[in-house]
Amino acid sequence: MQEKNVKISIRNLYKIFGDDPETALSFATQGMEKPELLEEHNHVLGLKDINVDIHEGEITVIMGLSGSGKSTLIRHINRLIEPTAGEIKMDDIDIMHLSDEELRVMRQTKMSMVFQKFALLPHRTVMENVALSLELRGMKAKQREQEAQKWIEKVELEGYEDSYPNQCSGGMQQRVGIARALTSNSEVMLMDEAFSALDPIVRTNMQDLLLRLQQDLKKTIIFITHDLDEALKLADHLIILKDGYIVQQGEPQHILLNPNDIYIEEFVSDINRARVLRVRSIMSEIDPKVTTFAGQVDYNDNLENVIALSKGDTTKVFQVMQDDRPVGYLKMKDLFKALVPRIIIDDD
Amino acid sequence: MAFYDGLFDSLGFRESCDAEKVDGSVNMADLLAKMKGEEVEAPWWDVPFPSLDNLHEACDALPRSRDFTEAVKDGFLAIKDTLKFVLDPLTQPLSWLLDGALYTVSIMPWWVVFIAIVFTAYKVSRSMPITSFVAAAMLWFLYIDYYDSTIQTLAIIFVCTFISVTIGVPIGIAMSRRDWLERLFIPLLDMLQTLPTFVYLIPLIFLFDVTESKLYGIAIILYAIVPVVRLTNLGIRLVDKDVVEAANAYGMTSRQKLFKVEIPLALPNIMAGINQTIMMSLAMVVIASLVSAPGLGVDVLRGIRALEIGPGFVAGFNIVLLAIMLDRVSKAALARINATQDV
Repeated sequence: MQEKNVKISIRNLYKIFGDDPETALSFATQGMEKPELLEEHNHVLGLKDINVDIHEGEITVIMGLSGSGKSTLIRHINRLIEPTAGEIKMDDIDIMHLSDEELRVMRQTKMSMVFQKFALLPHRTVMENVALSLELRGMKAKQREQEAQKWIEKVELEGYEDSYPNQCSGGMQQRVGIARALTSNSEVMLMDEAFSALDPIVRTNMQDLLLRLQQDLKKTIIFITHDLDEALKLADHLIILKDGYIVQQGEPQHILLNPNDIYIEEFVSDINRARVLRVRSIMSEIDPKVTTFAGQVDYNDNLENVIALSKGDTTKVFQVMQDDRPVGYLKMKDLFKALVPRIIIDDD
Repeated sequence: MAFYDGLFDSLGFRESCDAEKVDGSVNMADLLAKMKGEEVEAPWWDVPFPSLDNLHEACDALPRSRDFTEAVKDGFLAIKDTLKFVLDPLTQPLSWLLDGALYTVSIMPWWVVFIAIVFTAYKVSRSMPITSFVAAAMLWFLYIDYYDSTIQTLAIIFVCTFISVTIGVPIGIAMSRRDWLERLFIPLLDMLQTLPTFVYLIPLIFLFDVTESKLYGIAIILYAIVPVVRLTNLGIRLVDKDVVEAANAYGMTSRQKLFKVEIPLALPNIMAGINQTIMMSLAMVVIASLVSAPGLGVDVLRGIRALEIGPGFVAGFNIVLLAIMLDRVSKAALARINATQDV
């Protein structure tokens, strides 16, 4: 994979909630943890020393349990929350030093946001909601409706243009939310637990919709979730937050196979590894000695499919293909080893 | 011998107490005691509360209670001229509006007013049953010759509600923006709402001429503005925080936020406030007949003064009818807004 441009870079970001964050900051930089800071100084450590590079055209997923600071972090990127210390740059523009006016223009044109509770304007129709960002930029009604119509179709909401949000189901409302974000034609899209309020089937549909749209649009998406399955499905780059600091970040498959913290191991031990892990993450490089293969599997296939192909035979070896070229091989034994979470191996 | 004499003696204030002694000033209790010609030694448990009057008995330098009320009066009279100088021109437009409205309805033929009212009722409520009720009520007023006083009352309510809303909504918005303003205004609103209605007629009578219509206009507005201020403040504070955050995230200016998000979302509450304001104007316009507000209140007042049971009752019934009319029409408008906005 070629290295993509860094779109947004976050450096040494701290956020402390309380009456005197400056003083509390000095304790936090000296390494005081969240519970002590709360106990002894009555300040909440929201974010601690966050360093993240968000790459252009990728979906960066920030995952963590409630209270881990993930919603706080995403709100720093468009400065809905002001940081206590640190810097955030987008395309080398320091977001922290924008004036109110510049910040407003940036929010109107460069960043859009999708919310957990949709946050649509209840007194406006779907069309008027979707066209909001264009309206704020002062575009004429006819022109903006034309543009909005395009995105309403993209999110499969044709025929509901004149409905009000309260007449739509949750899934449809969030489609409106996504269309509203897309209509602004911003390069960066912030999605704050965008699918968490939806029921499971709708949620899966919406994830698929997002991935479909992303294939064409190649936007820089920052997605917040507390659901690891969702995170692994969507993420190009995964960041795991706990108590306001980053526990681990990197390629999702890599985190899954090499969790560096007991917290993450507990997290990943619950999921269906066969469905999430891909052949490319566990295959071995081409070895001239291994020549007999039971069949071929694709580089990006998940392990579930390989198991089905092997019919449960652990002695088989498959050739791994990428774009019709062999790139390695996969032993079923290695596959089954990869399926066992490390936390269980340690228990033995 | 007054009870607290000993106290002042022991503290050594006797001289300064007696410095102002004027022999002529005796109070009723002293006189009574003198007439009886004896001074009864009070039992020890009969301790009088050290109130102004009781202390004054022992020490003449201290004021009496009636001096206190006197001081309040003097204080008011002292600022009266300045207050009048400031308030008079400020409130003059109110007189013009009220006189103008009353004059307009008096010269318009009855059928024009009738059509205008029924049409407005329909436009606002969009409901045939309510419109028919309004039409029937208006015909009833015309039929029993109460049209003039009813239409005067309506004109006054209309003007006062209009002014209450134009002043009250911005105050409510300002309150919702700043907590210190809310803390400042809420006790004031509480006072306006709990003060017996007759009481705030008192300073107004001193400030303005009883013949001026702004006198009752101010009384009505002060009383009726409270709910619209309160509910505007409340409505804007209750606007969904997530929606406001979305408005920020999409780069709205605070002006756009106010007009495109906050006011539309607070509208059901604001409308509920306007409904209350209308009802309270009606309540006050009846009482304001004491200070020369024309309309149905005058008929009620005449009924009370002259013990004319018939006209008094009929006028009272007409007020109820008018109240139902105004309430139903404004509630129907409120329901219409709610229907499109339920989340």
